[in-house]
Amino acid sequence: MADPVFRSSVTSAETTSAESTSAAAVTISDVSDWSKCSVKAGEGTETAKGFAVALGTAAQRNGVLVVHHRQHEWLLLGSAAQVDETIHNLDRDGFVSTVDLTHGRMMLRVSGPRSADVLAKVCSSNFDDAFTPNRAAWGATVARVTCDLVRDDQVGVRSYLLLCDRSYGDYFFQSLLDAADEFAD
Amino acid sequence: MSNHRIPDAPGQLINRDVPLTFTWNGRRLRGYEGDTIVSALLANGITITGRSMKYHRPRGPLTADYWDPNTTVQVGDEPNVRASHRLLRDGMNVSAQNVWPSLRFDLKSANRLVGRFLTAGFYYKTFMKPAALWPLYARVLGTFAPGGVVDLDAPPPRNDKRYAHPDVVVAGGGPAGMAAALAAAQAGASVMLVEHEHQLGGHLCWGDDTDRAEAARLAHAVRAAGVEVLTDATVTGRYEDNWLAISQRGLPGIDERLIKARAGVLIVAAGTIERPYVFAGNDLPGVMTSGAVRRLITMYGVKPGNRAVVFTANPSGDAAVVALEAAGVTIAAVVDGRLGGNVVAAHGRNRVRRVTLADGRRIDSDLLITAVGWTTPTSLLNMSGDRPVYDPEAARFFPWCPPDNVLATGGLAGDGTTEQLVAHGEATGLLAAARAGVVRHRLQHLTRRAEPVTTPEPAWPADERPPLPHGSHPALFRSTTHGIVDYSEDVSSKDLVQAADEGFDSVELVKRFTTTTMGPSQGKLETVNTVAVLAEARGETIEQVGTTVWRPPYAPISLGALAGRIHEPVRMSSIQPWHEAHGAQPILAGQWIRPNHYGDPESEVRNTRNRVGIIDITPLGKLDLQGPDVPKLLNLLYTNSWNALPQGAVRYGLMCAEDGVVLDDGVTGRLGPEHYLMTTTSSGAATVWNWAENWLQTEHPDWQVHITPVTTGLTSINVAGPDSRQLLERLTNDIDLGPDAFQYMQVRTGTVAGVANCIVWRIGFTGELSYEVHVPSGFGLFVWEQLLVHGQDLGVAPFGLEAQRIMRLEKGHFIVGQDTDGLSKAPVTGLETLLKVEKDDWVGKPEVVWALSRGDGPRIVAVQPTDPTVVPEEAAQIVAAGTNQILGRITSSRFSPTLNRSVCLAQVHPDVATPGTTLTIVLANGTRTTAQVMEHHAHFDPEGSRLRG
Amino acid sequence: MLLVPCPVCGPKNAAELTYRGETHSRPDPNQATPEEWRSYLYLRDNPAGWLREGWFCSSGCRTFFTLERNTTTGELREPLLPGNKVAGRPISDGTEP
Repeated sequence: MADPVFRSSVTSAETTSAESTSAAAVTISDVSDWSKCSVKAGEGTETAKGFAVALGTAAQRNGVLVVHHRQHEWLLLGSAAQVDETIHNLDRDGFVSTVDLTHGRMMLRVSGPRSADVLAKVCSSNFDDAFTPNRAAWGATVARVTCDLVRDDQVGVRSYLLLCDRSYGDYFFQSLLDAADEFAD
Repeated sequence: MSNHRIPDAPGQLINRDVPLTFTWNGRRLRGYEGDTIVSALLANGITITGRSMKYHRPRGPLTADYWDPNTTVQVGDEPNVRASHRLLRDGMNVSAQNVWPSLRFDLKSANRLVGRFLTAGFYYKTFMKPAALWPLYARVLGTFAPGGVVDLDAPPPRNDKRYAHPDVVVAGGGPAGMAAALAAAQAGASVMLVEHEHQLGGHLCWGDDTDRAEAARLAHAVRAAGVEVLTDATVTGRYEDNWLAISQRGLPGIDERLIKARAGVLIVAAGTIERPYVFAGNDLPGVMTSGAVRRLITMYGVKPGNRAVVFTANPSGDAAVVALEAAGVTIAAVVDGRLGGNVVAAHGRNRVRRVTLADGRRIDSDLLITAVGWTTPTSLLNMSGDRPVYDPEAARFFPWCPPDNVLATGGLAGDGTTEQLVAHGEATGLLAAARAGVVRHRLQHLTRRAEPVTTPEPAWPADERPPLPHGSHPALFRSTTHGIVDYSEDVSSKDLVQAADEGFDSVELVKRFTTTTMGPSQGKLETVNTVAVLAEARGETIEQVGTTVWRPPYAPISLGALAGRIHEPVRMSSIQPWHEAHGAQPILAGQWIRPNHYGDPESEVRNTRNRVGIIDITPLGKLDLQGPDVPKLLNLLYTNSWNALPQGAVRYGLMCAEDGVVLDDGVTGRLGPEHYLMTTTSSGAATVWNWAENWLQTEHPDWQVHITPVTTGLTSINVAGPDSRQLLERLTNDIDLGPDAFQYMQVRTGTVAGVANCIVWRIGFTGELSYEVHVPSGFGLFVWEQLLVHGQDLGVAPFGLEAQRIMRLEKGHFIVGQDTDGLSKAPVTGLETLLKVEKDDWVGKPEVVWALSRGDGPRIVAVQPTDPTVVPEEAAQIVAAGTNQILGRITSSRFSPTLNRSVCLAQVHPDVATPGTTLTIVLANGTRTTAQVMEHHAHFDPEGSRLRG
Repeated sequence: MLLVPCPVCGPKNAAELTYRGETHSRPDPNQATPEEWRSYLYLRDNPAGWLREGWFCSSGCRTFFTLERNTTTGELREPLLPGNKVAGRPISDGTEP
């Protein structure tokens, strides 16, 4: 029996997890293969305190990006090993549940000095630094798809992670490429 | 250089180093880069640019700007272009609209001769009888309808959209607007300045050297201060909380862009629009406003005529006299409206030849210039909720009380020197920036993810701007004769008086009866004149008559721009690349693209029933449910009981809405002590998720349940057929597929084709022995491929939705939304044992209980046509024999390759639901056929022995 | 377009939320007469003045909440949690995250 082959739902791009530090105005890459796990727990529990991430923000915890984008829910993003370890060490205080979303969500990274301008073509959120500072986490409609967004600047370069249902794959990727067309060098 | 051009002078926008050629009605002409189409036409001595809508009167430029009602032309394949605004391009093919056979010799101008019969409201009075002639009337009227020609083969427009969040938006780039934008930007606000002309400057552009220098200074400063400047753009609408629609044209590679902006403060600096004068002959080519000739001369170097009469009542008229003289136009007479002078008529056939003054003099001329006053374009203020007030001294409307996040400045707000307008603009910009700062602070404080605010909210800045004075102006609307009021709609002052005589006593009624202000002008040039004429006719004041309502859009916007970039989300399963590569015929189900079949659905049915088939059913809704209170949620949402579902067991559930109507159905399995997986219909996936969360949050916040949708996280493959067990056994080591170990309606987890964390259900929509394999989607396609590789010798083949529909119909499995509809309460299904009326509270219970006791609702039954070759259309009506009384309808219908005959499901009145009843079906071609009600829903294997093996 | 104050996310464009309609408290399904039940299902007060309506933050925090809105002046009051039940059909906006 052959070894299982993992495929992203974005068929029209090279799947890459490498963060590029390109000098281009904007780069869009498919990072769907990251491990993603949803943890649900009450806001006042030890579990919540263990994460210590304010609602509407994200933070790095032991190599995992912990995104607290909704009440009672945290999204863990990172490598399989690191996410698994975080889940394993989770302080389960009261009613806590986890669901693996690695396969259920696609994730794109939109980076570069014009990345906010690209998103402003397809999303009505306010991308000013005051309203979505680095590490802000929120939900919004992007190109008519419900998404979770995280501002995750890389080495001082403006960058956003966009997560949505995996089935929108090529449509979503193409919509963003289309929006970025105007800013292409 | 023709004798319609004047020598180069400062202020001209044309570039004489770049000549352009274009055609006008097929005739080759020349112009320059920087010309508008109209300035180029006038430079070539063309004075007639179109014909009016109703009477086909010859028309020429009136205002020579964006609002000119007489210069709408066809450019190539683009109809309805405003030629006084559109810049000339090399190679343009321009033609007049609404003329036949040609502009000069327009036969439709025969309308002029019957003008008497085409008075106001003729639309409501003529072409009524006889009704039989309506098709002819429609055809004839169609050729007379104004507007250009649409080329159905023209390439689609390129439209774009973006969102913006500027602190301050300034609508209008004249001196006050520029000063406001500059001051706001210097105070730290993010500013967007929107100007509908191609350049900033407003009226300064056609002023004297000082004016133009000031315009240049301000324009330069505005850009240097980082203001985002949009030219050839208009703020077309203002909605709640300063949501603005801005249309932007002239971008490279884009026909029109719609910007949706949420502004902190909107500054309206739209200036003023010059009002035409109403008198006999006022629509002859050669009659123009003072602004028109000042623009044509100053900006485009065009000499609009040879001999002019100027009727002036304000400094703009006076300046027009100076400009005309400098351009070499003979001034035949200057009539001063401030001193009681008046013009009474303009005479001529295709253009002005002679003008009659009030003092009786008749003056030969080819130009009649009027400067009788200004209209305030308050639309954006009206859209904000303001009700502008008329000032009789100044003879125009002024802003009254806009909301505190909308500020008016410039000529819109009052009169003054350029310095005064600039000073007022500056004060407005500072106030706007301060107020926008408070708005931003408030929003930032309330937005969860935003940077926390460190200071308390500043006090709302009071408006302490010294107001601009209201200058005096004579009230000149209509002379002593009647003339055109609405140039776009050919409505004359006589029509308005007639309407008043006929009893139309409100301006809103007069508008609709006469159609005044309803044309492309949309009131910019004619609303105030309409109100004035009406006031005069009714013996009222302008204030008493009031104006009509101003609605968005302020300027025309194409439907393409409103649509923007077309975003139509498309969803696909992880196996879609394989389907496409193997000839699947796609079908669109909601946003999903799914394989309908692979060429021969009937052979797919046979293969699945005889060997083994696989189908991709990924869109099947799947909800991960965890928590100690999941059974409570299941008991609430489903009609049946969920208290004692063992781990590893699966149960079917029916879901209703609060009116008892069937909402959804599916199977739910228990994977662990507090872990369940609920499936829903594909189309109901998101609906049921929101439904469940709604109940938990609003009615049972104390229940401990976590819901996570995993519809697309798991790729779902149904492996069906007598050899399905054999095939699946080859792909798993840790799931015991033995018939006793893994029975029908059970669920297991394990490894399939080396992929961990798979879920396998033994259920059967198709009626065959079958397993639903749910695979983490990254490996979905891989597992599909493995099934095909390892099942080759078993004859495994894919089957699509069509084959699945046939098989489920053979088994009589109803589909919610196909065999049930928006009125079907739960008893329609015949599943009375699932309607647990003894349960405490479940959604839909009251209505279902009442429906059961009435017993009069329709029932789903299986039906077989008497003639096995007849396949009735779905939705074919079932009637009582020999009558047209409807007793039900066919809801699903196919030809069964398994039984070699047609099979159906139907909804019927309970009186004819008894097995053995003969039904009459009305087919689409009108003929009638009969069918029998069957004993079971399943046409094939009613005992279900194939399923439970 | 209205800025709707989501109690969790903050003010958002109305297009990012789903409007649920006028709210009324749900009668006891075991006690209600058909008339009372159908009044809950179908009848609305539709006042010219203060109205309690249900909103769902569908593209954000997924909170169901109640808003008091004045239908004549457009004023909004502070949003209320938890939301109140709105009778009728579920939302089929067809979107999952």
